Amino acid sequence: MPMKKIGIVGGGLLGRLSSWRLLRAGCDVTLFEAGSLQVCPGAARTAAAMISPLSEVVDSERLIYDMGMAGLKLWPAWNQQLGQPITYSEQGSLVVAHTQDASQLTQFAAKLRHHIGDAGDASYQWLDQKQIAEIERDLSHFHRALYLHTEACLDNHALLDQLLSDIHALGGHTFEYTPAVEVSSHKVQTEDQRFTFDEVIDCRGVGAKPDIHDVRGVRGEVLWVQTREVQLQRPVRFMHPRYKLYVVPKPNHQFIIGATEIESEDLSPISLRSNLELSSALYALNPAFAEARITATDVNLRPSLMDNLPRIERCKGLLRANGLYRHGYLLAPTVVETIVNEVLDNASAPYSEQIMIKEPALC
Amino acid sequence: MSVQSHATSTDTPFVLYGETLSSRFILGTALYPSPQSMRDSIAAANTSMVTLSLRRQNPNTPSSVSQDSSQQDGDTFWQYIRDSGCRLLPNTAGCKTPREAINLAEMSREIFNTDWLKLEVVGDDYNLQPCPFGLVEAAAELVKRGFKVLPYTTDDLVLGQKLLDVGCEVLMPWGAPIGTGQGLMNRYNLRTLRERLPDIPLIVDAGLGAPSQAAEAMEMGYDGILLNTAVAKANDPIGMAHAFAKAIEAGREAYLSGLIHKSQTASPSTPTLGQPFWHQT
Repeated sequence: MPMKKIGIVGGGLLGRLSSWRLLRAGCDVTLFEAGSLQVCPGAARTAAAMISPLSEVVDSERLIYDMGMAGLKLWPAWNQQLGQPITYSEQGSLVVAHTQDASQLTQFAAKLRHHIGDAGDASYQWLDQKQIAEIERDLSHFHRALYLHTEACLDNHALLDQLLSDIHALGGHTFEYTPAVEVSSHKVQTEDQRFTFDEVIDCRGVGAKPDIHDVRGVRGEVLWVQTREVQLQRPVRFMHPRYKLYVVPKPNHQFIIGATEIESEDLSPISLRSNLELSSALYALNPAFAEARITATDVNLRPSLMDNLPRIERCKGLLRANGLYRHGYLLAPTVVETIVNEVLDNASAPYSEQIMIKEPALC
Repeated sequence: MSVQSHATSTDTPFVLYGETLSSRFILGTALYPSPQSMRDSIAAANTSMVTLSLRRQNPNTPSSVSQDSSQQDGDTFWQYIRDSGCRLLPNTAGCKTPREAINLAEMSREIFNTDWLKLEVVGDDYNLQPCPFGLVEAAAELVKRGFKVLPYTTDDLVLGQKLLDVGCEVLMPWGAPIGTGQGLMNRYNLRTLRERLPDIPLIVDAGLGAPSQAAEAMEMGYDGILLNTAVAKANDPIGMAHAFAKAIEAGREAYLSGLIHKSQTASPSTPTLGQPFWHQT
């Protein structure tokens, strides 16, 4: 069988992962990115990169949990196939609340049970103060926490770099600073060149707005801080009346705290209010964070559809994948598996029935 | 229901600022799992007016991704709410001073093309209690500027009267602090407001957690209910929206039908005359 020629538009997480998987399967892959490939401009860079199907199902749907659990199996296997495996941490995560917000923690657990039922009983447990101290010394002032021991997180900046170098190593062609003016069936048109492919995969996220009518960006803001005074082994979720806040330890004594969730496509810098809210949450988690240095702030748009669920539109010579919303690293493996199996005419991947629409009216 | 009761068939319309609303249930648009579930909840609630907050948008920034440079950021989401067909009630959530609230009100009027406004001036950060002084000051100015102000207030009678004095035609006292789900915390005050202001539309706004609490407010004679969290954060927002809608209707019908008065001693609904006398001890 001749090598399939694939054009992938968008160099974020979906675009890179799809390129890498298809190159490994023997395809001829060309990846287009409107901005830089060295520093990914998309939400993939800004995300904290947790693989947390339990925490995320609380405010979404069962599908997110099921796809996320599948992702938890795929990530470690895929990581071993990378040229150089990246840091992938499987230490679970903790959910805590301030005394005044204790009811929100109870509500969190109730919603978790509502969505996953008895099936998930073994995947979470309540910890008391002593048990918290045993696994997270710097959170020992909390009296109660929910421990979700199956959850994981990964070093996304390392992953994005590694994927790019693997794409090059496997002979993938890449074009950066090359926005596509048309992404359609078998065709990618850049400002000065026209390409034809056996299959085109549209992974532009919010950039696909001209072609996917219900895509919207949901603004998220994060802080990066650095301190040696607090040590966390795993991501920590923190109850807040408006946002789903988390603190995730990153290499080099850094932490990322996020994220706000604002219905806006404004990419201007983080607001003072958001900064205050994120900072004060961090301080409330452990006052020793007060002396941490803010090393970076970041803002990005989550590509989202109106139901906040992922969707792949499929028509001849074209796949458009979008809507990973706040669940990029959680859902990407299953979404990419679906794309790859479809392109290679393999048996359908699990969940493809739920997320793939064939021959939609507009594609 | 096959038979329409006398009470509901003769009910007076729900009129605010001269406009008749088809539903006594006003729903907020924040905190839903997705825009889709928000809009399905609006439909299930059969509401005719929704609140929305401009607060966290930056309306002066054009969308960073839209091809159409005239499109404002957040437009996709706003348009989605507009498409629900409901009247929009912009709010000033999170404003702490009259000046902030007035600025936001002006911006909202421009963007949403309505002079209706749910006025919030927060006096305390933790329970988001309205600041009575700032509220009256902001309401007075906004009425002068032509706004139809629906003030979110505490259940204090004198504060309510001051808001009416400066030109508000509706009052929206809290049941309990926003998002707490505590229900009607001070029934005495809420009853006092109803009794002393019989001709003013009164809407219980905030603090409700259960449909029974909404029904109770309506049974007291309140004209409408405004809520958000209890629906948006329910396991099934759409189901909860529908449950509240039914409770609000039930409460209204009960009010119109006239509740019986409580009494200390039991009075059997079945006469005891036909029972053997040894059962009558």
